[in-house]
Amino acid sequence: MRVLKLRKKDLKKMLEKISSFGELWAPVKKGDKFAFQKIDNLNDVDPNAGRTILPLKKFMVPPRFSMFRYDKDGYHEQLGEVTDRVVFGAHACDINGLLILDKVFAEEFSDPYYIERRKRTAIIGVSCVPDEFCFCKETNTDTVDEGYDLFFSELGDDFLVWVGSSKGDDMVRAAEELFDENISVKDIQKFIEWKKWRETQFKMDIDLTAMPDIFELKIDDKVWEKIGEKCLACGSCSMVCPTCNCFNVTDTVALGKMEGTRDRCWDACTLHEYSLVAGGHNFRGSRADRMKLWYTHKLQAFIGEFGKPSCVGCGRCITTCPVDINVKTVAKTLRGEEVYFK
Amino acid sequence: MANQLPRVGIYGLTGCAGDQLTIINCEDEILALFGAADIRSFVMAKSDNTEDEMDVAFVEGSVSTEEDLSMLKDIRKRSKILIAIGGCASCGGPQSGRALEKNWKDRIKQVYGNTKFEIPDAKEHQPLSAHVKVDGVIPGCPIDKGEFLRAVSRIVNGDMPIAYKYPVCVECKYNENECLLLKGIPCIGPLTAAGCDSVCVNHNIPCVGCRGPVIEANVASEYKLLLEKKFSKEDIVNRAMMFGGVKMAELLENLKGAKK
Ligand code: SF4
Ligand code: SF4
Ligand code: SF4
Ligand code: SF4
Repeated sequence: MRVLKLRKKDLKKMLEKISSFGELWAPVKKGDKFAFQKIDNLNDVDPNAGRTILPLKKFMVPPRFSMFRYDKDGYHEQLGEVTDRVVFGAHACDINGLLILDKVFAEEFSDPYYIERRKRTAIIGVSCVPDEFCFCKETNTDTVDEGYDLFFSELGDDFLVWVGSSKGDDMVRAAEELFDENISVKDIQKFIEWKKWRETQFKMDIDLTAMPDIFELKIDDKVWEKIGEKCLACGSCSMVCPTCNCFNVTDTVALGKMEGTRDRCWDACTLHEYSLVAGGHNFRGSRADRMKLWYTHKLQAFIGEFGKPSCVGCGRCITTCPVDINVKTVAKTLRGEEVYFK
Repeated sequence: MANQLPRVGIYGLTGCAGDQLTIINCEDEILALFGAADIRSFVMAKSDNTEDEMDVAFVEGSVSTEEDLSMLKDIRKRSKILIAIGGCASCGGPQSGRALEKNWKDRIKQVYGNTKFEIPDAKEHQPLSAHVKVDGVIPGCPIDKGEFLRAVSRIVNGDMPIAYKYPVCVECKYNENECLLLKGIPCIGPLTAAGCDSVCVNHNIPCVGCRGPVIEANVASEYKLLLEKKFSKEDIVNRAMMFGGVKMAELLENLKGAKK
């Protein structure tokens, strides 16, 4: 892997030089939180921004989009409307989230809508410092070595820039004069020191050891009923989770015309209608069953199938659920460490 | 309905007529609407109306008088599909905001004393479904014109309007809003059927539930949450009842302490 150095004060210049690679998006304040937004003024780019309300999945699978139009002449793909983008400021957990989406949408079953957007979206990661809700260390997603085009690591007055793809390499070449190939022993030492320091910054007290076994043992525990009683079935946890990927498909038919669009929108197993089948039977009609499904899927079933949890420790469920149901409170309660659901 | 345009009637019972007005305000699409359906009765929009068999009737307003009731029963009898439009028709509307307190007669007396009414048969405001079978609902106060047109299009094509069985929060997340409830603002989006594209929260205003309770609305949990956030029982109930009407009253009924 090619590794270079970029002076922090040259970041804006660099982003300007790569503007031909697509629209620039980066985390910008939205109220007290952050959201990936289109950047019109480079001064708005903040490499130290915190977690965004929605993760990177919104670029690859927008919350709502049309897959194709249809009329009396046939089907017309809407893929042509996908734009080239450069997304700056992705954290390691979120890129790991994308790697999970890659498995779901780009391996056994390939989803052309996902693949096209993934191809057209350049990802520039940045190293981050965990806040009180981050626990990516516990899910082994605190670092990442694939799935991005460039990754910027903290190095004092510089960034250490890891080139992760040929598109990344092209971007570097477009701003060649700003990068420095010479990485000194001192730089490497500085990088190691910083990584060590970052390790010490994880504040959240969470232990996911043996979680699959604990789920197996507590699958009939009455705590699930308590969680179900509390859950608002609002779906927010699933919407904000970087690895939740379920969707619904509907048709919108134009009034009085022989044409329409086939649309896709985010759906979630935490919602009432998700498990409703023809004939009116809902095989997960109770919220307790749906909560059980969501958490076993994140922390047990996915491990069985893909060898790792489908939780990347981003902390979004913690900062999003209005009634405090999240990986932390569920895991702690199941372990018997603390009872959140009375 | 394949060859012939579906015969449509648009009616109003007790309400502000805002939903019918929304339909009339479909300026750009009104021609398409009249082209796609044979609008036989729409008193608010035209004068030559034919009252006979209808393929679809859209009915706005709550059932608040005997006259409303007999009109509704008549519409039901001659319509294949009956769609409730707007908050009053689907939930009872703001006029049923005190439905939780029952005692309609006492409440009337409290407000009007012994005044004689021109409409002597006024009664507790009820949604259409309290009296007749309702096949579909387009909720909202008022309805959203896009949703109405999409619904008509679905019906014309032999389908039913989409029933939103998930809460406003889902659309609120689609729009990547910062959650107001988490900031301590009493938003009842989690209890409210989606379909409005979370328009209020998009403008930083909490949802007041104008689309009525969503299926499976967990009123008990949100009630408890708002109490924990130091809102008074009265505040919470008033907020939920602002548009939730009889439908919300049924849900609140079982909550300990919510009823006065
Ligand atoms: S389960 Fe929660 S912490 Fe884990 S990836 Fe999803 S939102 Fe993030
Ligand atoms: S767990 Fe929380 S965020 Fe998820 S659906 Fe239930 S109430 Fe909503
Ligand atoms: S602001 Fe209201 S509608 Fe939006 S997510 Fe929060 S509770 Fe739901
Ligand atoms: S956000 Fe709530 S109050 Fe506002 S339009 Fe939607 S349902 Fe009605």
